[in-house]
Amino acid sequence: MKIAVMQFPGTNCEYETLVAVKAVGMDGEIFRWNRSEGELSGFDGYFIPGGFSYQDRIRAGVIASKEPVMQALKEEAAKGKPVVGICNGFQILVESGLLPGTGRIDMALAQNVMVSQGKIVRRGYYCDWVNLRHDAPSKRCSGSFIMERGSLLKIPIAHGEGNLVTTTPKLIEQLNDQEQVVFRYCDKNGRVINEFPVNVNGSTQSIAGICNPDGNVLGMMPHPERSFFAWQLPSFDPRKHRPDAAGPGRRVFESVKRYIEVSA
Amino acid sequence: MSQMINLRVWLKIPDAEAATVKNTLARRLGYGNVLNDVKKERLFSIEVDCGDAEELAKSFAKELVNENKESCKVSIDELRFEEGYVPVKVALKIEDGEAISTRERLRSRLGFTNVVDVKKATIWKLYLCGMDPELRAKKIAEELLINPHKDTYEILGTDRAEN
Repeated sequence: MKIAVMQFPGTNCEYETLVAVKAVGMDGEIFRWNRSEGELSGFDGYFIPGGFSYQDRIRAGVIASKEPVMQALKEEAAKGKPVVGICNGFQILVESGLLPGTGRIDMALAQNVMVSQGKIVRRGYYCDWVNLRHDAPSKRCSGSFIMERGSLLKIPIAHGEGNLVTTTPKLIEQLNDQEQVVFRYCDKNGRVINEFPVNVNGSTQSIAGICNPDGNVLGMMPHPERSFFAWQLPSFDPRKHRPDAAGPGRRVFESVKRYIEVSA
Repeated sequence: MSQMINLRVWLKIPDAEAATVKNTLARRLGYGNVLNDVKKERLFSIEVDCGDAEELAKSFAKELVNENKESCKVSIDELRFEEGYVPVKVALKIEDGEAISTRERLRSRLGFTNVVDVKKATIWKLYLCGMDPELRAKKIAEELLINPHKDTYEILGTDRAEN
């Protein structure tokens, strides 16, 4: 079971992601954007990690989305192989049309706008620990394959452009109806409150992650590789002091492994 | 009577973002034969309701332009571009937080109480050759320069009045 962790100029989470891939028992390697795209077919799954590909020039993810390797990745995704985009990886998937999966650019991850009680209280780049609610049914999506609907994860975010907006009529309705909304920002009890600080970036309906109609491509703004081990959790979390314990982000990587096992 | 102060700002050091746009258009999107160059400007359109616009423009430039690395050009009310390229104006269609911050900085922190509004945009200057450069510029805008769910664009004419 071999995973390619994609690396574009400016990607900065590829090594942590690779550690997480290997820690759940998958083989993996970093795949540079300028390798022959034909080599991509030799992998069973793909992660596009976070960072600032091409320094977010023009807008986050758009330059990387035009690289030939992304066309090859689309072909592998069409075969049903799992593709998980994290943060900047999610932005690249949106700009390439792999998400929400119509082949067109049907949405944007725009600049964060934090709204509370009808007022904008903050804008721009934001780092914090957030709570996510898994809103899709179990086995709906490669990156959350082993999670039950309603399960909660504590995972950090760090981004300036994660505010999901769309002008495509009925897109959000369609994402909800087809259970493509995989993660939503919520409070510690799982309640979705569509304003800051629970909705950390102003994203429509507090959406934090979506999948394509087939479920094999997942994009999410939070960073599961940064809460893979319990010791990565914040100091106020009691689980932090159990250094050998798994962190909540591990389930994303275990899901991809299980998805590949089941699909084989 | 309100007046619009247009402040065009560009880097006088190499602009890496413009170079990346040029490379992507030439090497990834097939415009290598028709694209001679790409340059970029930031545009501040600052609406004021009183005062000497020429003097205000100088004051705004002092605050918004870093002369160590940037140059600027001011025009009052009308926005004119030189010939030789197609200017594509890209702006956010969702709320522009940076423009609001700039307005508040000028009005509240720096005391320019006559500032009514500030709008920001990026002007991509596409040096295109061949037939119908405006149509090509439109395609380029839609293929690369904007995401229609958050941005708008406008192909501006050269050497003619806008606003």
